[in-house]
Amino acid sequence: MRKQIILGTVAAIAVAILPAVSSAPAMADDSAFATCSDLASCGGMSALIKAAQAEGSLNITTVLRNWADYGDAIDSFQAAFGVHINDDNPDGGSAYEIKSIQTAPQASAPDVVDIGASHIADAMTGSKTGGSLFAPYKVATWNDIPAAWKDASGYWFGNYSGQIVLGYDAKLKVHPTKVSDLLNPAYKKVVGIAGDPTGAQEALITVMTASVANGGSLDNVQKGVDFFHKLKTIGNLSGANADSTHIATGNPKVWFDYSFNALGTQQAGQQIGKTFYYVKPSDAAVMGTPYIFGISATAPHPAAARLWVEFLMSQNKGHLAKDLAGDEATNVANGSLDGAKLFASLMGGQNIFTLGGAIPIEQAAMAKKKLLVPSPTSIFQPNPAADKLALKMPTVAQQTTATALLKTAWAKI
Amino acid sequence: MSITSAQNTSTASGGRGVLPVKARFRLDRSFLGLLPFLALIGYFFFYPLAVVFNDSIHDSKHHLTASAYKALFAGNYRGAFIGSFELAAYSMAISAVIGALICWAVVKTHGHARNLISAAAGVLTSTGGIPLAFSFIAAFGQEGLVTKILLKVFHWDIYAGAFDIYNFWGILLVYCFFQVPLMVIVFTPAVENLKVEWQEANETLGGSKLHYIRHVVLPVLFPPFLSSCLLLFASGFSAYATAAAMSNGTIPLVPLLIGNLVNGEVIADQANQGDALAMGMIIVSALVFLLYGLVLRVSRKR
Repeated sequence: MRKQIILGTVAAIAVAILPAVSSAPAMADDSAFATCSDLASCGGMSALIKAAQAEGSLNITTVLRNWADYGDAIDSFQAAFGVHINDDNPDGGSAYEIKSIQTAPQASAPDVVDIGASHIADAMTGSKTGGSLFAPYKVATWNDIPAAWKDASGYWFGNYSGQIVLGYDAKLKVHPTKVSDLLNPAYKKVVGIAGDPTGAQEALITVMTASVANGGSLDNVQKGVDFFHKLKTIGNLSGANADSTHIATGNPKVWFDYSFNALGTQQAGQQIGKTFYYVKPSDAAVMGTPYIFGISATAPHPAAARLWVEFLMSQNKGHLAKDLAGDEATNVANGSLDGAKLFASLMGGQNIFTLGGAIPIEQAAMAKKKLLVPSPTSIFQPNPAADKLALKMPTVAQQTTATALLKTAWAKI
Repeated sequence: MSITSAQNTSTASGGRGVLPVKARFRLDRSFLGLLPFLALIGYFFFYPLAVVFNDSIHDSKHHLTASAYKALFAGNYRGAFIGSFELAAYSMAISAVIGALICWAVVKTHGHARNLISAAAGVLTSTGGIPLAFSFIAAFGQEGLVTKILLKVFHWDIYAGAFDIYNFWGILLVYCFFQVPLMVIVFTPAVENLKVEWQEANETLGGSKLHYIRHVVLPVLFPPFLSSCLLLFASGFSAYATAAAMSNGTIPLVPLLIGNLVNGEVIADQANQGDALAMGMIIVSALVFLLYGLVLRVSRKR
């Protein structure tokens, strides 16, 4: 899911050269959980939690802690249920996640993946027999997921998304409020984009944002390419990747970012005594296609996998596990606390994503039910003109068209 | 002592001592000794190579196709091969010359300084990748230590002009930081082979310094120099981590494109294109090493 791929490819090669010999499944006796397709057929929340505890761990992949506040979700899940989470290759991308299901040894194969929408088709035909790599499962909040972003049979479903915003060093004399501001000669060599748009979805949506800001559209991103060409020609475009590591080193100083990376980058900045501001641009409001959850059909921990997606798709306001007593996992294990009760007291993933600046997929339904926690206002600098814009979201087809154009156009900007 | 009893003794004594064993017997044993190595390169080299090749000629629907190879000769893939070639060639040329001069200096010095330089070269060669990229950023980045010292002490803003560590030339500069030490390591033995007696003979016979360089040094050093260059080229051509840490895709390089294809989240369905690019790189590297072997063989014959 992330763009930086340094460790990614090393790990991808490591996986590729490991022969696909699979050891015996970690849990042989909970095969029922490998096929149950909703909470009821899994025997209810309490039974699911018990089974997940028996499995003991959960394998996820390419999840960054400061991405959409995933860190809080991981900590909360581990503490509340006593299920250890193994996160393989935090810097990897969607293609790596799919390859992992296909080739990793069973014990270390991912249970749940979080992939870009472009890769749904790949995953749905990725098994050895040409079938889906995923097992169908409908979470309790299934009806609140917009129809366009879920598979009718439950094989995959959207989880969260982000809007492209501008980040910048608070020390800059001129603060940007819109995309076209980045042409300011004051930003020589320091305007950053997060990755290569033919490799990172975030960068692709960034080019789309630039397209809209310059009178272009989501259908044809040529105006966005032209904008970046101009940035490069006048010498403003930085060659440094706009990830939190490079931002911390002082280049880029102005950058495009997903809204849900803002909080993590600001916190990373604080640790080294830097202040980073974020602002929603007033000339383009484009959000990415949502990321997609799929439970691996060959998951080594099928119950923990189902509990993880139930947790991340939950709309509960509740508390993070660090705000609870801390003995809940033990109490559930010894039977003195009902698992379902514990689950109900926890803040759900949809709200944790919101805290991290992401747009949860169930946002509309949650707002209606007044279950949505307020999005933290402190992340973004006020920009009233930007708030008036209606958010645009590309379709998968528009993404594919844009990618085809960028494959040749980006190398020449 | 018969051969049979010799073999028995050999077995009994665990193979110690020099015994008249049949040639066939010895061959078999040396082959056994080679087995672990063969198994290792078979597993870590030939097996992945076969997988990559097999994947490169199949599309995502498992149909046989050569389209991924055709794509290598057009558009951005061709551009990336040119970019990688340029980066490898420039870094080779610069590092070979600087490295050779350092070798010359190293051989002329003795004792601690020499050991120090050899040790440093050994360490620096293997300090490529992300650590190198980030030490470079920490030194010469916009807020790097060297950048700041130059600005504060000498009032020289190196970023005022065209200088940038995040463009082609910046990456080239970083590449030289692991290429030069590599040159020092592979080329020093050749320079050491120049015997002092040759220089003395040249002087005794009335040859000038220029004469010595032209007729002794150059002919002796040229083949190893050439083979060292080829090694540097291969090293620069295939490096990935350094470039990945220092660019966002605006500099077209083959390893970075492979990274996008096998690990990206935008282009689906085209992992075989990444495999084809990898095969392209393997072929280029194989050609370079073939040349390397050829040069070595020619130079040994002389």
